Amino acid sequence: MGESTPDVREARRMLAKGICIAGVGETEQGIIKDRGSFQLLAEVTKITLDDAGLTLGDVDGMVTAFSFVEQTLMHATTFADYLGMEPGYFASVAVGGATAPLMAIQAAMAIDAGLAEVVLCVRGDNTRSGISSSGMIAMAREMSHGAYEAPYGLTTIGGYGLLAQRYMHEHNVPQEALAAVVATQSEHAALKWNAMLRDVVTVDDVMKDRWIATPFHAMDCSLVSDGAAAFLVTTAERAKDMKQTPVYITGVGEGYSHQYITSAKSVDGVRQGLGRAGRRAMEVAGIGPQDLDVAEIYDSFSFTPLIALEGFGVCGPGEAGDWVLEGNAKLGGKLPMNTHGGLIRQAHLGAMHHIVEAALQLRGQADDTARGGGNHQVPGAKTAISNGSGGILAATSAIVLSNEAPTA
Amino acid sequence: MSAEQAPATSGYAKPLPDMRPEGDGYWAGTKEHKLLLPTAPDGTPFWYPRALSPGTLEPHTWTESKGLGTVYTYSTHFIGPSKAYKGDPPHIVALIDLDEGPRMMTNLVRDEEGYPSLDPDAVKIGMRVKVVFHDVTDEITLPKFAPAE
Repeated sequence: MGESTPDVREARRMLAKGICIAGVGETEQGIIKDRGSFQLLAEVTKITLDDAGLTLGDVDGMVTAFSFVEQTLMHATTFADYLGMEPGYFASVAVGGATAPLMAIQAAMAIDAGLAEVVLCVRGDNTRSGISSSGMIAMAREMSHGAYEAPYGLTTIGGYGLLAQRYMHEHNVPQEALAAVVATQSEHAALKWNAMLRDVVTVDDVMKDRWIATPFHAMDCSLVSDGAAAFLVTTAERAKDMKQTPVYITGVGEGYSHQYITSAKSVDGVRQGLGRAGRRAMEVAGIGPQDLDVAEIYDSFSFTPLIALEGFGVCGPGEAGDWVLEGNAKLGGKLPMNTHGGLIRQAHLGAMHHIVEAALQLRGQADDTARGGGNHQVPGAKTAISNGSGGILAATSAIVLSNEAPTA
Repeated sequence: MSAEQAPATSGYAKPLPDMRPEGDGYWAGTKEHKLLLPTAPDGTPFWYPRALSPGTLEPHTWTESKGLGTVYTYSTHFIGPSKAYKGDPPHIVALIDLDEGPRMMTNLVRDEEGYPSLDPDAVKIGMRVKVVFHDVTDEITLPKFAPAE
């Protein structure tokens, strides 16, 4: 692929240690008024430890993210204090929506460096219920340049809208293609036990919805939700006496093209920049897009997965819209995408749920019938990709997961 | 103080630019209704203003733009980033490719008193636009763009 610098063999060497996800957890998602940010994190920690069959004392590494509500410069250690533990390794990762795969990569590197053996990666927040209106305004401004973008009334939604409208213009992509992403994911969310929106919507429903910022209707936008999710990273050796079948991290990658949307040079520049994360992760894993069984693709807006699918090489430039319209992203389709409903229908916790869902798929545990949901298992799924993007498709990270151990 | 006595711009509640020293030259220019572009030593203007030319980290000078460009993309905002936009008609945020090369963010407006938003139906990617200078407060002038011709 011509992108092998630095050498992918270094990443393969690290992952050949059998670095894996040995436990996952998610709380309920949505509007949770009676619980604070750290409380949600603590609850999901307990769920995740139970899933792996561990106790708090088994965890020696702590990777957290950030909170919009409980703002602290030392998030990981503040949470360690809340839990009553003394991790030997700790880090807080803050790269917006790219954070969750980066947490997995951070944990893998800490394990490879011998700094920890069992690393809890946990993120959660009561973003929906706990944030003040001034906090919301600050969040809205966060992705704008304070001097040269914010004074024009740019919103995060509109920032994505700028790129999406240019993409649609260049490739003649119809509005229906965006709506098809929402409709597809609504079918998946209907089966996910903790999805915030469980009703199935059609392309027509989305097309008739109210506008927020063109080309996005309200339903094209991700949710604002309360909740937490976590995954536990360790080695296959250490996972042997744990409860679950390990899910191996077989590929890692990052990509970047700009920070401010004004600085994005072209649609293709963004596509290649974010695409590098996925292409790199697949190169490290020694696979191509045709080898993927399930794709948990960051979906801050309905447009977001389209350009990512193209950047990762699943579809050619400008072809992802038709690909989704043809039903390829549905359960039962060529490459089921966002089988949990994603940020648009399940909940918004960056890419945390994308990783948890990918792990559950590869464990063969994506049937939520017993919990009041439905069966969204991709039969026989062996290989998954999961990514996250921070800013307005500015920074992207991706991991490839497999239920088969990597061969160095 | 009655409304009549208040300065005309005192009620401006929409976002104002974060002021940083490296942008002072630019905002001094817009106040005089000039669009100044930071320009690298090789004569290439860049956007946005930074202390050093991006990529080379050489010092820059300011050159004046003719204020003509083309709409690269736009998004019609039906909801603004704060309460100050409530009740407004939709505003159009656009990226403009200036004829001199740099791409900058702006609002698309009508070249009339108060620079009201352009009708979204009148906007097309690729349309030609010209700069207008909207004095939003006594101190701050925001360059906006209106259809050229």
